Amino acid sequence: MSRSPWWQRLAPLLGLFLLCLVLSLASPHFLTVDNLLNVLRQSAINAILALGQLVVIITAGIDLSIGSVVGLTIVVLTLLMRHGVPVLLAAAVALALGTAIGLINGLLLTRLRLPHPFISTLGTLNVARGAALLLAGGVPISGLPPGFREVVAGSLLGVPMPVVIAALAYLVLHVFLSRTVYGRDLYAIGGNREAARLCGIPVDRRLNLAYALSGASAGLAAIVLAARMNSGFPLAGTGAELDAIAAVIIGGASFFGGVGTVGGTLIGALIIGFLRNGLNLLDVSAFWQMIVIGVVIVVAVWIDVLRQRVGRTA
Amino acid sequence: MTPPPPLLEVHALTKRFGAQAALADVSLTIAAGEVHALAGENGAGKSTLMAILSGALVPDAGTIRWEGRPVLLPDVRAAQALGVSAVHQEPQLVASLGVAENIALGRLPHRAGPLRLVDAGAMRAAARAALDRLGVAVPLEAPIGEIGVAQRQLVAIARALHFGARLIILDEPTSSLSLSEVEALLASLRALRQRGTALVYISHRLEELRAIADRVTVLRDGRVVATAPMAGMSNEALIQAMSGRELAADLRAGPPPAGTEPRLRVRDLARKGRLHAITLEVREGEVVGLAGLMGSGRSRALRTIFGADGRDAGTVEVRGPDGWRGVHDVAGGIAAGLGLVPEDRRGLGLVFTATVADNIGLRTPKGGHRWGLLRRGVLRAVAEAAVEILHIKTRGIDAAVRTLSGGNQQKVVLGRWLGDTRVLLLDEPTRGVDVSAKAEIHRHLRALAASGMALLVASSEIPELLALCDRILVMREGRLAGELTRAEATPAAILALATGAAAARAS
Repeated sequence: MSRSPWWQRLAPLLGLFLLCLVLSLASPHFLTVDNLLNVLRQSAINAILALGQLVVIITAGIDLSIGSVVGLTIVVLTLLMRHGVPVLLAAAVALALGTAIGLINGLLLTRLRLPHPFISTLGTLNVARGAALLLAGGVPISGLPPGFREVVAGSLLGVPMPVVIAALAYLVLHVFLSRTVYGRDLYAIGGNREAARLCGIPVDRRLNLAYALSGASAGLAAIVLAARMNSGFPLAGTGAELDAIAAVIIGGASFFGGVGTVGGTLIGALIIGFLRNGLNLLDVSAFWQMIVIGVVIVVAVWIDVLRQRVGRTA
Repeated sequence: MTPPPPLLEVHALTKRFGAQAALADVSLTIAAGEVHALAGENGAGKSTLMAILSGALVPDAGTIRWEGRPVLLPDVRAAQALGVSAVHQEPQLVASLGVAENIALGRLPHRAGPLRLVDAGAMRAAARAALDRLGVAVPLEAPIGEIGVAQRQLVAIARALHFGARLIILDEPTSSLSLSEVEALLASLRALRQRGTALVYISHRLEELRAIADRVTVLRDGRVVATAPMAGMSNEALIQAMSGRELAADLRAGPPPAGTEPRLRVRDLARKGRLHAITLEVREGEVVGLAGLMGSGRSRALRTIFGADGRDAGTVEVRGPDGWRGVHDVAGGIAAGLGLVPEDRRGLGLVFTATVADNIGLRTPKGGHRWGLLRRGVLRAVAEAAVEILHIKTRGIDAAVRTLSGGNQQKVVLGRWLGDTRVLLLDEPTRGVDVSAKAEIHRHLRALAASGMALLVASSEIPELLALCDRILVMREGRLAGELTRAEATPAAILALATGAAAARAS
């Protein structure tokens, strides 16, 4: 929807290249097929969550609940599978549950008219996490059917399955956001809600859809995470919403809505993934990693502010 | 003995943004107690000049003298300290604070001691003193959010006085005021002038400039094209100086031939406390004006007809190729052939983060999608056509809409409703648009009517309605107070109905 000059759109990509260049010079282990596939695998879950977050951030919203939704759906999914429910059915239920919680987030905004999604999703964040802990009795759920892990956490033609799933999700969302009336409407709502309404766009229905999609992305991420961990840990996904928001923002989306692309978000998720991986290879402690990622978020948004300032006076 | 130097004297001021000169070699003098009008189309450099004089922008070249002494204005505080304050079109006030706090904000009187406790008594006294100089009474305790636009404007001016301003720059101070509020504001400004405060008055409204200004400076393309005593310049001369063109004539074609079909039928439309028994018709090819004072319900009527605001009673029908269709909500209204150009293009009309093409295609035109998938070829063709028909000046349909001038942005909103729209509702279609763009938009509206569209135009500018409309409906306090044919419509007749003077005389 919003087309900025190419050099502006390429800024996050350039950042990713520079990062990879520096890391490959700093560590001989970085630029290997195994390591790169490893980074992709590790980034897949954050990348999927970032996709849902992108959709709501485009509408000038936010979804803080997705980490907890991952926790609740992973518990439900693994409980169902342990009780012998077929894997496909259990996965469908997990997706539906994530979508339903997302829809509730939307309805809290559009029906109850809560003033800001920060508040409504902060509420569901707590509710979903509490429900997850209650259902699981506070302990991880194990004993999943062996085939589940083999397929969902395995690989397809040498590519890790989580990466395949994330890639498909990105493709679908890209078409959704850039080629459909629904996607176009979401950008318009984020850019100017009243203008969108006066053009006949059903704003409330579209917002419900956006939050439902965000919940669905959390459900999908939960399926992948359950396979990777081969268990359902009720605290899974704690804080994951913050990494997802970081990926979206590093990827050039605007917190004020109306701006953001699937491609940018992918790059944002990869920048975070490569940064973690590179710092690990360089033996930088996890504590320092947090500091570095915090600085990257601030710098990325600062660069964005500078770009917009240049764009405005030109 | 030499005469005292002028209060402010700028010489050869130049400011560039990239390759473009926003101001080139601008010189100007302002005497104490003078009201100096600054006229010019949008983009002529008025805002840049205002920003430089108030310290918000630093010029690239040129000198500024204050009472004969050369001064630098590196920032807003320096300008305020010298005695120059700017009051913006939308006054920058804190909605949650009271009138007195807002006037004193930034210079709150405080008691001695490390805590710097606010001296509420002194604050109120200072606020009252500033308002007294304007000759107005605004309740000091009222939160800004609860007083009207006109009073907010006065509070902003009072704040400038509290800061010790001797030169106040006013940018379009009346753009959202009603006629009577404009009169009151001008009276306050005259009181200020008598006490020696100088004013720079920026406005598109020539009648106002004439009512208040001693001299006028016209800017065009960043240069001064004329400086003259206000009385020595006719409106025609002013417009020609601003636009470099002759004034356009009356645009009205003849009234639509008898026997044309009604396109819009509104019956007994009502909203508790807002609208009462609005009944009207607009025929094919007709331009009907909706006049009235601020708050008379013009905008509300248009928005309610469009389905954007709720109604308690009444019907709205649009006649399409297959007969009359009722309108109950926005989507249904658009499907029936209604369109709305809302009053505030920035707040209600445009998506500023998006391109020209996306803004035009926002009301997805016929054939714009199939099964929810956008047909980008169709959308682009529709946008290209709108740009061409309305002569929208843009680098292309993929340019960001915020890079366009006000007049061209307004044309983008209009461009959305070309094509299959049967009845177009327009609210202040040329507010904040410069003189020549205004004339151009008027021509386009007449052309749309000539092609058969029915237009209902609400405007606070009576000359605009007189130039454009075949028939004028006048609203007062949420009701239709009367209807004037083209022959009957004069400013006096419209005002009489709008203010209730006609009703009072009749009874």
